[in-house]
Amino acid sequence: MIKVKNLHKYYGDYHLFKGINLNIQKGEVVVFIGPSGSGKSTFLRCINGLEYFQEGEIAVNDIELHSINRLRPSKEDLETIRKVRLKVGMVFQQFNLFPHMTVMENIIEAPTRVLNINKSEAVENALSLLRRINIEKKANSYPDELSGGEQQRVAIARALAMKPAAMLFDEPTSSLDPEMVGEVLSVIKDLVEEGMTTLIATHEMGFAKEVADRVVVFDKGDIIEIGTPEEIFTSPKTERTKTFLSRVLK
Amino acid sequence: MKKFLKIFSFIICLSALFYWIIPSQSNSSTIEKIKKRGYLLWGSDTEGGAPYVFPDPKDPSKLIGFEVDLSEAIARELGVKAKQAQNAWDSLIPALKRGDFDIVMNGIEITPQRQAEVLFSLPYYIYTEQLVVRKEETEIKNINDLKGKKVGTLSGAVAQDILTNLGGVDVRIYSGQVEPYEDLALGRLDAVLLDLPIAAYYAKPNPKLKYTGNPVGEGFYGIAIRKGDDELKKKIDEILIKLLKSGEIKKIYEKWDMWNETQEKLFKVAKKSKDYVTLEETKKAPIYTFFPNLLKGAGITILISVSSMALAIVLGLIITILRLYSRPPFSTAATAYIEIYRGTPLLIQLYILYYGLPNIGISLSPLLAAFIGLGMNYAAYEAELYRAGINAVPKGQMEAALSLGMTQSLAIKRIIMPQAVRIALPGVTNDFIALFKDSSLVSVIAMVELTKTYSILAATTLRFFELGLIVAFLYFAMSYPLSLLARKLEERLRVSKK
Repeated sequence: MIKVKNLHKYYGDYHLFKGINLNIQKGEVVVFIGPSGSGKSTFLRCINGLEYFQEGEIAVNDIELHSINRLRPSKEDLETIRKVRLKVGMVFQQFNLFPHMTVMENIIEAPTRVLNINKSEAVENALSLLRRINIEKKANSYPDELSGGEQQRVAIARALAMKPAAMLFDEPTSSLDPEMVGEVLSVIKDLVEEGMTTLIATHEMGFAKEVADRVVVFDKGDIIEIGTPEEIFTSPKTERTKTFLSRVLK
Repeated sequence: MKKFLKIFSFIICLSALFYWIIPSQSNSSTIEKIKKRGYLLWGSDTEGGAPYVFPDPKDPSKLIGFEVDLSEAIARELGVKAKQAQNAWDSLIPALKRGDFDIVMNGIEITPQRQAEVLFSLPYYIYTEQLVVRKEETEIKNINDLKGKKVGTLSGAVAQDILTNLGGVDVRIYSGQVEPYEDLALGRLDAVLLDLPIAAYYAKPNPKLKYTGNPVGEGFYGIAIRKGDDELKKKIDEILIKLLKSGEIKKIYEKWDMWNETQEKLFKVAKKSKDYVTLEETKKAPIYTFFPNLLKGAGITILISVSSMALAIVLGLIITILRLYSRPPFSTAATAYIEIYRGTPLLIQLYILYYGLPNIGISLSPLLAAFIGLGMNYAAYEAELYRAGINAVPKGQMEAALSLGMTQSLAIKRIIMPQAVRIALPGVTNDFIALFKDSSLVSVIAMVELTKTYSILAATTLRFFELGLIVAFLYFAMSYPLSLLARKLEERLRVSKK
């Protein structure tokens, strides 16, 4: 359902992506690993249009995103990007909850304002999401009254409230205290088991091994290896993958 | 409230202290000091303008005027040189009492109120008030036709009393002599009543204006001298009589086109010396009689401040959004607006709005000009505050909103602005309080708000101290609740609710 074709991205003169191709099936769980700065986050951000790219094509559910003039995107371009974003939910490393809204308001904001769902239905839906992540008691709290782990779970619920077809997780546990990593990963795991198409950029190798259908290894903007968790973690084919894994799996 | 009273009584004590510390009079004779110093220091306001004392249009570094000529003659008789000391006209008398100069000569009318404060020399000029109207005016023939008309005059001048005593006249107070005639020519006023020398210099040459009716309200200009300086007064009286007899005074007035038959009376006055003005001791009016005027001024201050702040808040918001989220030329225009309004003085902006725009056919009323002038100026500052507020909202907030499918404008409205406004709020409140005080600047465009009311009342009654405290209290009473309200708002709107 997500097709990436010949993706090129430059930062000024620096050529990060030099023609990336990748197809992701409905229901598939793909985990992106690689050193910091290797491009795995940028790749996810390209998929929902938070980063522009200069060449190539990304299609989500047949909505095609082409290279777009970054300085002067046309109205149609912006509308295409928005349609893509409605299909894919995004969860950020920094949570990015809206601090001036309660947990409940955070979750119902987009459904009521963007999808025009009436408020009582949105609240109903939000409560069932909060029950799933086990913090329905905090519905009327403000984000800064929650722990990091709780905030990230609310951020996941907020994205799910838009009923996306796929979810993107950009290093969802990297800013968490170690004791909170587990609660967030278990929410993601539940999602995966329900069959959600999921793309995760992460440094959690154990988790990658556990949930991934495929693992994609990024290095310096290149995809250097794609395979099942067994292939990647037990018999990596390239030297660069071996070096990276030996560093993180110590 | 208790805290408020404490602060207020503290301010009163402090100002009372200053009042007593400053020595108001010195003991050694002023005449000796003048001789020792080698020059006579005379106070006047060159901004008051022609023909009294003003910068020579051909050589602005030189002062000219009939009072310059007169002061030089007097100084010569004293055996010294004359030196002018600049001081705002409104506060010449208090400055004299404080000892800033030896005498004041600047078209100061001899009035009982002033005689209670200072000594006056024999009169050196008999002024009359001349009514001036537009050339095509037919209705107004003399001052009895002024009921319901808009009539301009100067703050603190005798003409103001005459107009007020007529009753039913819409009196507009100005602080400069050019502006009332300017506004008359533009049709903002129906007539101007001012001292004849002023009319002779500013209105007579203007082809759009004409004199109407005979001069009214004869009065005397006198040289003001500190109480206790009787020796100096005697000396100056002798000199004036001498100059009068020698014909030198007549020559000076003829030079400035100010001589008329009325001035012949100066000789009579000089002979009888004391009968020229009724010296009935006016009772000091109780302070509460000033309250209606002061409260009206305060009302206008509130009206101007609140309305222009509302304009500034809304306009500032539009400018910020254009600057940050639109494309050239709109974003460039917004940036230029901010830089131009911040980079030029508010006073100049007000002058251009009120006196400049009529040149291209737009004539604003004083209230409208004040509202637009202050509002547009403060909008530039509010825009900068909002921009700082928006920049302080983390980038991730916009990304999160967009990733939920919001359009950029919805994200700005629902996610970015509410946070930015909370960050900007303390600055906006500060500006509001500053605006309350800056609103006094609009007195240059004939708006009589609180500060202007004060300077008018103080200049005529010379009760600077008591009235000053009351006005300071009124300002404080207006801005302090605002601070309290802002603090409450901030607490309620705080971004983090811990």
